[in-house]
Amino acid sequence: MIDFQGVSKVYEHNGNDLRAVDQVDLTIQKGEIFGVIGFSGAGKSTLVRLVNLLEVPSEGRVLVNGEDLTRLPKPELRKVRKRIGMIFQHFNLLESKTVRHNVAFPLSIAGTPKKEINKRVEEILDFVGLTDKADQYPDELSGGQKQRVGIARALATSPDILLCDEATSALDPETTKSILKLLRRVRDEYGITILMITHEMNVVREVCDRIAVMESGRVIEQGSIFDLFSNPQHPTTKNFVRTVMENEIPASILEGIEKRGASRHIYRVTFVDESAGQPVLSQIAKKFAVEVNVLFGQITELQGIPFGHLVVELQGEDKEVLKAIDYIQRTVTVQEVKAHAG
Amino acid sequence: MQVDLMEFWPRILQATNETLLMVGISLLAATIIGLPLGISLVVTRSGGLLENKAFFRILNSVVNFFRSIPFIILLVAILPLTRLIVGTSIGTAAAVVPLVIFSAPYIARLVESSLLEVKSGVIEAAEAMGATPWQIIFRVYIPEALSSMVLNLTIATIGLVGASAMAGFVGGGGLGDLAIAYGYQRFETDIMIATVLLLVLIVQITQTIGNILSKRIRRQ
Ligand SMILES: Nc1ncnc2c1ncn2[C@@H]1O[C@H](COP(=O)(O)OP(=O)(O)O)[C@@H](O)[C@H]1O
Ligand SMILES: [Mg+2]
Repeated sequence: MIDFQGVSKVYEHNGNDLRAVDQVDLTIQKGEIFGVIGFSGAGKSTLVRLVNLLEVPSEGRVLVNGEDLTRLPKPELRKVRKRIGMIFQHFNLLESKTVRHNVAFPLSIAGTPKKEINKRVEEILDFVGLTDKADQYPDELSGGQKQRVGIARALATSPDILLCDEATSALDPETTKSILKLLRRVRDEYGITILMITHEMNVVREVCDRIAVMESGRVIEQGSIFDLFSNPQHPTTKNFVRTVMENEIPASILEGIEKRGASRHIYRVTFVDESAGQPVLSQIAKKFAVEVNVLFGQITELQGIPFGHLVVELQGEDKEVLKAIDYIQRTVTVQEVKAHAG
Repeated sequence: MQVDLMEFWPRILQATNETLLMVGISLLAATIIGLPLGISLVVTRSGGLLENKAFFRILNSVVNFFRSIPFIILLVAILPLTRLIVGTSIGTAAAVVPLVIFSAPYIARLVESSLLEVKSGVIEAAEAMGATPWQIIFRVYIPEALSSMVLNLTIATIGLVGASAMAGFVGGGGLGDLAIAYGYQRFETDIMIATVLLLVLIVQITQTIGNILSKRIRRQ
């Protein structure tokens, strides 16, 4: 759907080259919600703006539906842009127009007949839940409502792609949740591919299928949300994961283990969905001659599904412990933890 | 040697008429010239919608040039041009030419500053929707900046009232002419006070109308 092939964007900055986006290769599949996370200045905004050619790539190419937009003449480009919706951190609504006219705007500039516009506007305002606010002005709305108008406006021309530039960064956590839920409905009900960028891990955690982590213009890591949470490779990715889920064993617990004379049987059990966690441990306690001692645990939600890990000490004969591990490995991921190494 | 104010009332009324006419026509003409100039200054600047660095640089210098000439000098300096355009260099019609040349670049700057208040994100959103540059100018820039432009044009109008009083100096007619002819040259203080009060009133009314209009427009 969206294909970045060796894409760079270079800005001249006081005579120096600034590589805002540096050699990025990414493929975003049709119908997925793809998140790009990175700290401020990582190049995320520049990256999304390359998709609808608000920025022209300096190197490489971006294919949208297999098409390189830089090759299109201006009028064709404008046509394609109507198929790519975009929402923004600060909403960017027309302050002098009502909600209704804001949503109608993209249709109106496309020359859609009036009757059709009215019908579509009603439809889309109903979808975002703003029918009762249709005749109000943006400055009479809350942040969350403004973003709903932004989403309605972006969807008015029935696009295939929705670009979100920090769409929830100006909103409080509750409102963020409701906007993310709405974005998920946009994908589920209209099948729209969503590319969202953010600096907040809890945003990608809620809705994204796959994510890429950006730093200094580069994509340093990418994968499914579960892969990145259970096995982050790059230090920056680990830092981001840590903002929503502590996955290092606290020092005090490690010390305690060493003091007690270091059991050799400490494991990290990573699981998706509650049903795979706790029950499995109680099963092995029953089936094998081992005692399960939970040292530390963390649980979070990824796309609404519980995801977590437990660090457990298995006490018992080596042989029994190994059998137990072998047994639970069928349903959960198990890694051995070396007490002194962490 | 006091003059009866009542006796002069018709003259004051006529002078008021002349002032309003001068200001009105100048404002209209200067806006017709200044508005497209102001828009051009915004869209051709670097990073603008229709970026054109050379065009911007030239236009910018020309506007600056005319803005730096004091009105009183402009008034005299362009007498030949005035004669060419209106056939005479004295009277109300003749005063309109320097007033337009004086205020058009000023209005261009005011329009420019109003348009620059429109958030770049809003322009970007329109671009992302596939709007053409003309659609962005007429359907985003102007409606979004209109309320601020009306306030700025109010300021320009008040400036014109002041400048039109100076135009009295070259026999342009109007309240300024009256104040100078009677109040200053013949020491008839009553007349001078009456004309000044009238000018104050005109300015007050202009500002009030401007404020109301601007507020209305914010909510079309
Ligand atoms: N138009 C521009 N001109 C020069 N530098 C820019 C421009 N846009 C962005 N940059 C620079 O590119 C880098 C990445 O910016 P951006 O994509 O906005 O990052 P993010 O959205 O991740 O915060 C920053 O260092 C920024 O200063
Ligand atoms: Mg950004």
